[in-house]
Amino acid sequence: MDTSSNSTPDSQIFDSLRLELRRGCLIVAVLAQLKTEHYGYTLRKALADQGLAIEESTLYPLLRRLETQQLLTSQWREEDKRNKRFYKLSPQGETILTQLLAEWNSINGSVNNILQNSHAEVIS
Amino acid sequence: MNTNTTIDLLERYLQAIGQSLPPANREDVLNELRANLTAQIDDREEELDRPLTEPELAAILKAHGRPEVVAMRYQPQRYLIGPSIFPFYLLTMRRVLPFVVAIYYVANFVKIAATRNGIGSIAGGLVDSTFQLIPVLFLWLGVMTIIFAILERTHESCGKKWHLDEWSPAKLPPVKPQDAKKRRSLVSRVADLAFHCLWMAYVIEVPRHPYLLFGPGYSFVARLQVGWAPVWHTFYVALWFLLLVQLGIKIANLFEGVGRWRTPLDLTSKVFGVVLIGWLVSAGTYIVATGPGTDLHTLAIVNHWIGVSFKIAMLFMLLDIAIEVWKYLRPHIPVARLAF
Repeated sequence: MDTSSNSTPDSQIFDSLRLELRRGCLIVAVLAQLKTEHYGYTLRKALADQGLAIEESTLYPLLRRLETQQLLTSQWREEDKRNKRFYKLSPQGETILTQLLAEWNSINGSVNNILQNSHAEVIS
Repeated sequence: MNTNTTIDLLERYLQAIGQSLPPANREDVLNELRANLTAQIDDREEELDRPLTEPELAAILKAHGRPEVVAMRYQPQRYLIGPSIFPFYLLTMRRVLPFVVAIYYVANFVKIAATRNGIGSIAGGLVDSTFQLIPVLFLWLGVMTIIFAILERTHESCGKKWHLDEWSPAKLPPVKPQDAKKRRSLVSRVADLAFHCLWMAYVIEVPRHPYLLFGPGYSFVARLQVGWAPVWHTFYVALWFLLLVQLGIKIANLFEGVGRWRTPLDLTSKVFGVVLIGWLVSAGTYIVATGPGTDLHTLAIVNHWIGVSFKIAMLFMLLDIAIEVWKYLRPHIPVARLAF
């Protein structure tokens, strides 16, 4: 999903705007994915498998931040003879995720309406 | 992942991250990173069906990110002056900077004028002052930044104590009348011309009626047995030339169509005025003895302080010109270059 390419001014602008656009979406995706328990690496793989690649250096600190905000809970547990920190959506996280998804759908609907209206204006 | 070399490289990487992490959660973060990286390495080794070589592990670590940057992302966002305070910081710096420079130059010029004689020496002093201005500006910048950094900390710890979001559109200043600013009213221009004529009449009468200059103190000055130095005769002619030029400009100002030439003409006449004052400064002697009873020591002191007053007047005229030039050129400078 990496669409960044050369470093022309246009592509730099696109990369910067894309980063802004993705920032909020990633949080929603991480919260949604953590309805089932994951540790950092498997969460990253699960997101990548569904087309949402995210850098480790972005994802792992984000998990910590979301846990500090009490949207996630975590626990150290042994798996395959190794200790790993597993994260899961907290009840408060569930509530916030529901609100964020409602906001996401509202924004999505508005943008679609704007695009349809502008398309109709161009045709007429 | 079982070779000593790869384990050593991973541990060195984690150690480098740990050096930039706060002690409170260092071990916890490093353990989590170790678990995630180890899982990633295991996955890759499973794909390749062999242990990773050192360059392959190095590539994974490099993709994970530079240790300092990775560590920084685990810490809360840090800044000296945050986005809510920064606009006020920038605005204050822009508003205060001209005053700092002006006060600095006035103070230095008074000091230079009182201690040095001759245009060359004064000019040298001003050049020295300009070089000394750079550390002064750095110091000022540092002090202002510290003040605003303290405000930032106080603002963060006191929540909405500073009420920066509270403002009323009704309290904004009225829109500046741009056209009126560019073109003064006819009444103002006529009044300007009238005052200039009165000023010329005054200049004509001063040599014949010295009490217009000295007021009630003239009788005292008359007893001192002193007179004007020859420099004033030349100065008087030059002053008349300047006043006539200014009269021409002010008359031309009454008519439409000279608006865009007004500022350059005003500036030219002001520059001529500075040259005149500069010439007076270089003269050094303004009052001379006309009789045997004159106290020459006192006369020297009076001449010195007249010279100092001309130097100070010259500074203010130079500042005035600098401000006028800035105002004139500012609309022609691209906005991006005014961004500071």
